[in-house]
Amino acid sequence: MESIEPLIAHVQGLSSSVDDICHLHNLLKQAEESLQSQAPRLALVLEQLDPSKHSLGYLYILEAYTSAPIQKEQASELVVYIANFINTCLSDQIQLAPDKFTCVCKRFKDQVLQLEAPVRGVGPLRAAVRKLQTSSEHLTALHPDFLQLCLLAKCYKTGICVLEEDIFEVDQPRDFFLYCYYGGMICIGQKLFRKAMELLHNVVTAPMSSTNAIAVEAYKKYILVSLIHNGQFSTGFPKYTSSVAQRSMKNFSQSYVDLANSYNTGKIAELESCAETNREKFELDNNLGLVKQVVSSLYKRNIQRLTQTYLTLSLQDIANTVQLRTPKEAEMHVLQMIQDGEIFATINQKDGMVSFHEDPEQYKTCEMIEHIDSSIQRMMALSKKLNAVDEVISCDPVYLAKAGRERPRFDIDDFDTVPQKFNM
Amino acid sequence: MASSSSSGLTFKLHPLVIVNISDHYTRVKSQEHFAPPKTNGDASSSLPSSPPRVFGCVIGVQRGRTVEIFNSFELLYDPSTDSLDRPFLEKKQELYKKVFPNFYILGWYSTGSDAQESDMSIHKALMDINESPVYVLLNPSINPAQKDLPVTIYESELHVIDGIPQLIFVRANYTIETVEAERISVDHVAHLKPSDGGSAATQLAAHLTGIHSAIKMLNSRVRVLHHYLLAMQKGDIPCENSLLRQVSSLLRRLPAIESAKFQDDFLMEYNDTLLITYLAMFTNCASTMNELVDKFNTAYDRHSRRGGRTAFI
Repeated sequence: MESIEPLIAHVQGLSSSVDDICHLHNLLKQAEESLQSQAPRLALVLEQLDPSKHSLGYLYILEAYTSAPIQKEQASELVVYIANFINTCLSDQIQLAPDKFTCVCKRFKDQVLQLEAPVRGVGPLRAAVRKLQTSSEHLTALHPDFLQLCLLAKCYKTGICVLEEDIFEVDQPRDFFLYCYYGGMICIGQKLFRKAMELLHNVVTAPMSSTNAIAVEAYKKYILVSLIHNGQFSTGFPKYTSSVAQRSMKNFSQSYVDLANSYNTGKIAELESCAETNREKFELDNNLGLVKQVVSSLYKRNIQRLTQTYLTLSLQDIANTVQLRTPKEAEMHVLQMIQDGEIFATINQKDGMVSFHEDPEQYKTCEMIEHIDSSIQRMMALSKKLNAVDEVISCDPVYLAKAGRERPRFDIDDFDTVPQKFNM
Repeated sequence: MASSSSSGLTFKLHPLVIVNISDHYTRVKSQEHFAPPKTNGDASSSLPSSPPRVFGCVIGVQRGRTVEIFNSFELLYDPSTDSLDRPFLEKKQELYKKVFPNFYILGWYSTGSDAQESDMSIHKALMDINESPVYVLLNPSINPAQKDLPVTIYESELHVIDGIPQLIFVRANYTIETVEAERISVDHVAHLKPSDGGSAATQLAAHLTGIHSAIKMLNSRVRVLHHYLLAMQKGDIPCENSLLRQVSSLLRRLPAIESAKFQDDFLMEYNDTLLITYLAMFTNCASTMNELVDKFNTAYDRHSRRGGRTAFI
């Protein structure tokens, strides 16, 4: 207990202004060793401090306390403590020691999972993510943990509100992979397939120096979601995918590619048989639910294809073409699609005819103007950011070394030094 | 140089005079810029240390107490005799008299930032043509912060300084006066684009900038009116019915068309323009992104460039 008392006094005294906090930070760093050694006794110490004012000191002591193994009985109390701390701490103080904070939160997550009550962790971790972020475009190490808890607790909506923000800064690549993967899964859970595709696409095409298990799993899900949402899947990779990914992804997901190929034929029977043959593999990857959704989406795809050929069609004919059993089922499908906005049609129930229409959007309304205007603003902001990144990478010595090396050696008079972009 | 004249004359200046003086100055300046320097041998041509001064005469009409300056012509300045070229001036005066019998020589102009002592001699020399000539001074230095025109009109007055009666320059107030034909042509001249700004992008940008400044000015004027009307409503300013009538008639002139069909067509066209802008931004962004990806791949992707020689021309 030797150095704890003065330390507590310091913490209580020096938590007001910015200079004091820096001084306190240094003291805490020096006292880390002694704190670690006295871990079990620190619980009493924590009582004396107020997390909302003395956040930094509380954080250090809490971290030292949790570094020791925790018994199961204490786990529940500890969870309450940490939750309380996260909810009340001051973000500018804890941003001075982000790794300690991340450490505490990760241990919190482990405890919550051990107690098998992930729901308890969702709220505090969301607050933790907000407090650790330096800006809303910053991806912290806590994002994937938060999303993992949301997935396990099935609180998809809370996860969605964090996913809405665009990310521009990433600390660790692994965080980014996990974040996008879990985010994709949450979006699939909420049936937001477009956003799920975006996130999974990010995992697959992110720069990686060697094959990444997360990316492989994401690629499998990506194929399935792409089939559900777009009705097609292209095996080519965009050019910003790393070459590592381009070579190795297909090897791990052959059965999924087969499924995609049989989907393209448009025949239900083939698709179902393909799904059956690879059933164990899908089950192993926990993707069976998605595969079932893929099969049911084939009906939708076929009905959509009919809109391009026919202006009106009877329900019986639809059922026959799409290989549904009864016209009633066809009507259910068409009704659902009209509701979801996937096709524009009207069903005449008297004679059982469906007439397909064009998109009635006239683009004449003020809402459309606002929509386009906001899109233009977003695009301008994005363009500015892209230009800034472009400039940074143009000055990067790694890039300049490689670009300079590959340039054909011509005489200085033989070519125009003006870069190609500006030659009009 | 005293601050304001006490002669009670009202001066009206036509924009043609300002454009003439500015044109004269620009021509002389660019000709001098391209003429090779006589003494030094370095390749780069240097600007003259001080901008050249140009001189000329202004002509117009004086009716009672109103002096209206319509036109101007250039004169050569003879530094040896420190006076303007007299025979030429008289010849020009004769020629102008034939075309514009009403116009008299009202004074002279020059460029510079302030009136100088040596100008007084030129001023006195003109006094035999016009007892009280005016001196129009244009300041050619461009000051973007300055809102007013850099043109000052000076008169000469006899003041007693230190017991000696002396002629000094005093500033006079003036207004800009124009007729419709003049306004159109001056506007046309003022908006001439530079010849190398021929690409569509700069022309469009210049056009849009013009529209933007026009709208900005309209907005500020409407704001002034609005402020005034609010003050009138509150009672700070006495109600002026004639002004209110003018404002009301202005308001009744807008909107020009108001119908559902117009609204439809207008919104559709507006949306089309917005979509084109959006498409342009998209393309721009996509192109930046493409280049970024290329650079990134060159720099960091180990296996993507196998024996590829980029055409870096």
